[in-house]
Amino acid sequence: MSAILLIAVPLLAAFLSIMMKKLSSYVLLAVGIFNVVLLLILPDGFVRIGEFNQPLGINLLLDTYSRIALLLLNSLILVITYLNLKSYKTYGTILLLALAGLNGLVLTNDLFNFFVFLEISGIAAYLITTSNKKPRSTFHYLMLGAVGSSLFLFGVIILYAMYGTLNMVGMIRLIQANGNYKEVILPFTLMFIGLGVEAKLLPFNSWVKGVLGNSNTLSGPMIASVYAGSMSFVLGRLITNLFDFQGSLLTVVTIILAVGILAGDLMAFASTKTREILLFSSVAQASIIALLFVNGIIIWAVYLIIANALSKTVMFLVINKATKDIGSDESQDLRGLFIKNILVGVTFTLATLSVMGLPLLVGFKIKLAFLTGLADANHIWLIAIILIASVIEGIYFVRLLVKLWYKGDKEINVSYNFSFKTVFVIIALALLVFGTYSTPLSYLDNSIDTVMEEVNNG
Amino acid sequence: MANIELLILFLVGAGIVAYLLTKLNTALGSIFTIFSVMFVFVSLASYGFNLGLNETVNIIPGLTFTQTYLGFYFAIIIVFIYLMVSFFHPYYLDDYKYKDSYNLLFLLSLAGIIGAFYTDNFLQLFFFFELIIWTTMFLIPQGKSREAAVTYFGFSVAGSVAMLLGIFMIYQSSGTFDISIGLASINGTTGVLVFVLFLIAAFSKLGIFPLHIWLPIAHGNAPHPFSPVLSGALVKLGAFIGVLALVKIVPATGVIGVIDMHVGQYIVAILGSLSIVFGTLMAIKEDDAKKLLAYSSMSHGGYILVAFSMLDSVALAGGFYHILAHALASAGAFMAIAAVARAAGTTKMKELGGMIHKMPITYLAYLIAIISMAGIPPMGGFLSKWMIFQAVINKGMILVAIAVFFGSVGSFLYVFRPLASLFLGQELTEYKGIKEAPVLMLIPTFIIMGLNVYTGTFPGAILNYINNIIVELGFSGINVTSSGIIDTYSGQGVLNPTLVSMVFGTGTLIAFIIFILLKKSRKVDLMDTYTAANFVHDEHLLHYSVDFYAPLERLYEKQSNWMTKFYTALAEKVKEIGNFGKYLFMSKNIGTTLFWIITIIILLLWGEVL
Repeated sequence: MSAILLIAVPLLAAFLSIMMKKLSSYVLLAVGIFNVVLLLILPDGFVRIGEFNQPLGINLLLDTYSRIALLLLNSLILVITYLNLKSYKTYGTILLLALAGLNGLVLTNDLFNFFVFLEISGIAAYLITTSNKKPRSTFHYLMLGAVGSSLFLFGVIILYAMYGTLNMVGMIRLIQANGNYKEVILPFTLMFIGLGVEAKLLPFNSWVKGVLGNSNTLSGPMIASVYAGSMSFVLGRLITNLFDFQGSLLTVVTIILAVGILAGDLMAFASTKTREILLFSSVAQASIIALLFVNGIIIWAVYLIIANALSKTVMFLVINKATKDIGSDESQDLRGLFIKNILVGVTFTLATLSVMGLPLLVGFKIKLAFLTGLADANHIWLIAIILIASVIEGIYFVRLLVKLWYKGDKEINVSYNFSFKTVFVIIALALLVFGTYSTPLSYLDNSIDTVMEEVNNG
Repeated sequence: MANIELLILFLVGAGIVAYLLTKLNTALGSIFTIFSVMFVFVSLASYGFNLGLNETVNIIPGLTFTQTYLGFYFAIIIVFIYLMVSFFHPYYLDDYKYKDSYNLLFLLSLAGIIGAFYTDNFLQLFFFFELIIWTTMFLIPQGKSREAAVTYFGFSVAGSVAMLLGIFMIYQSSGTFDISIGLASINGTTGVLVFVLFLIAAFSKLGIFPLHIWLPIAHGNAPHPFSPVLSGALVKLGAFIGVLALVKIVPATGVIGVIDMHVGQYIVAILGSLSIVFGTLMAIKEDDAKKLLAYSSMSHGGYILVAFSMLDSVALAGGFYHILAHALASAGAFMAIAAVARAAGTTKMKELGGMIHKMPITYLAYLIAIISMAGIPPMGGFLSKWMIFQAVINKGMILVAIAVFFGSVGSFLYVFRPLASLFLGQELTEYKGIKEAPVLMLIPTFIIMGLNVYTGTFPGAILNYINNIIVELGFSGINVTSSGIIDTYSGQGVLNPTLVSMVFGTGTLIAFIIFILLKKSRKVDLMDTYTAANFVHDEHLLHYSVDFYAPLERLYEKQSNWMTKFYTALAEKVKEIGNFGKYLFMSKNIGTTLFWIITIIILLLWGEVL
């Protein structure tokens, strides 16, 4: 058993499932379960494909960091597929492709290989967004995605030309030995921007408005939770180990991310459509996560990714289902959504409170921890910006919650089936339990990412 | 032995039980809530006064508690108000959309209160603050307006977030989240910044100008039994933060020699004075009885802040006493209005009248509460204001003195209006059938009436307790005998509240005897009159509460909504910036994004590589 199966099995299944299109979703469920089980039993460490030692050959790195990322994304894809078994039957093949691509992206230690998986998962993402039936926004996404991955590739090529290797661990060693950070600013900028497109960082993310603003129960959680989460994980890994921003690049990146946080929440404040509110809030959160990685607060960034992915799954599912049944996502038209769906309302509220970072929910614990981390790193201005943004965030979320809980002009009927409710309840309970009993969160620390250890061990 | 941690856990557990019980039966759940709050109150009252609560933490990791006289004083007042208000629940909850969760959120917020006043750690303080904010935020939209919750939440969160930023600044300079060590260790510029940030928190909770506009919106639209909690209890959190900031942080600003005050503290005193003046003026103008009382809370918040900013024993005693007096008075007044609103279905004064005939006890409760609010003996409000006046005059703060006296006179004007138009005045036909509030609601009404009088007559024990707080804060206690004779500034002003109350009591007694002995006035029908040679055919025309102070109001009617306009405009501007952001970054045109990418790359290369 080796970590390569996490990529190979979904990829193989994707090809096989073309032959039995109707069953493709069930194939995906089987593969998803297989992957999750495999993740629980695989040992930590490097998988050398073809037994080539570093820096030759392609390596996959399975450590606690990638294990968390993979568990999150595999189980979320599993859940989302299960919930959409009836409504989006034929997307199984595409989701298998997405699974293979994202798993590879998280695992790989080779920069060119990384690009390949970026493209695979990108193609799958474009195809998933076709379910929105908004070709123009999908095309927009496709174009920007292509620009992003080209920039990434361009950066990788420059690095290869400079150091003669594509292996990440090997490259980090060479860069450290060289010690001239100015040389790598251009490739790092290009790579950062390239990944920024996929990770929804402002201002590279104009595609999200069209894609998530028209999302459905499949594309909403897939793009907002699974893709955003995975991309944050891989961006985080590169930021912590490879990029290690310094000097003016650090300044520029910090400014971009700080603007992203504020602008994301401001745009959400200015929106009246529920899906737009959620997506702009995700934009702000993605910037916060990247900012934490930039400042080396890895573990809390990881928890934030998980909490956000889970909360946003609930929120997008609730809103997208309602939008589908009612035919509008204007918050005015969704007034009174929760009157007849108390349970769904409570779970949605808990998820929202967690995103806002209010006490008793896990978001609060995470927010305080990473703010403390930023204070330790003497970044009081970043704290101020995050806090100002959180006031704006609080106001628009409360406005939304109050609207959804109290009835408007007409009664609306949306029904959520049992499996939706089960998922909502489980996620909400998890947010609540880890929010009140947060000791387990301190079992892990920044050392979950082992790339640097590997670099230093030689 | 009462344990703080267990009290908090008890309240959380009781909240869940109350939720289930309320689901079954509203009255059952509400009565359970009453007993739960009563249990907490009794535990606090029996062990807390001498700081005898058990502070050990066994179950919730990470929590730490400490007891201070200051914290207990706030905690016991607020828990008491919660207890009094909980008696109203059985009669109101059925009208609310999500009545099941009402008691749950009510008890959860009380758990937050206990934690907030007993914690010794800033992060936990923030935790409990935010807990209080979000639990109470969900209670407010059950009343009249949904938007009120958003306003309340926005201002509260802005305040608590400002506090959090201050906390992190303290942490940065001292390396600890411990409240007493942290506050003691900051100085210089950090001290000034933290001072300002903490005061933003205090202002926004207490509703001090310019962060006051949520008060009338939230108090006026909250569910009737929740308005007394907001005004009597929750705004006092702001006073708590105010004490921390004003007394414990001495910012490195200059000192004004004439009055021996730091500039920072003086600015706070001026802002407090502005709140007193503006609150009073707005209350005079207001037609809704609850909003009127909300503006009065704003003005009283000003008194509390003025008192704390002076850093003087008598002023501090006045400030702390005012917290108690105003909590009792405003809870009493709001509860009376709540009782009326339950019977009549409105709080608009021009739609009400003659309630005294049907609800004499509620009338009496309101009367006593407003006497205290207006600062007239023999009620508690008189004593606290008297001490604050003494301190202000002693310091020689002329501008502030004008404001505090204006506020006192002004409060006669506004608290009299609901009395005149709502309780007195003509009884309107539509209210012929209403009854006095039920017995369960009269219990807290009587208790609060009694305490309003008690605090004005026998202040000895309370002032002695307040002396503990003052000493704890590093000042010397004021001179007060056990029988309550207050001697401010050794001999400048000696007040014997008991004697004053005796005089008032005797006067009232004599008046009552005369009233009994004299011939009864003849009751006539309302229509038994004619005006300007016309017979009046409709009682409503005789209602004289509309435009009560029209000439006075005309003086500032154009200016009165400036702050509301300011905040509306602010929200609008934030929205516009957001839309501008969408225009900049979220264009449908791919070229825009490419433009940003290229610009960033060029800018970066310009600075570094090229």
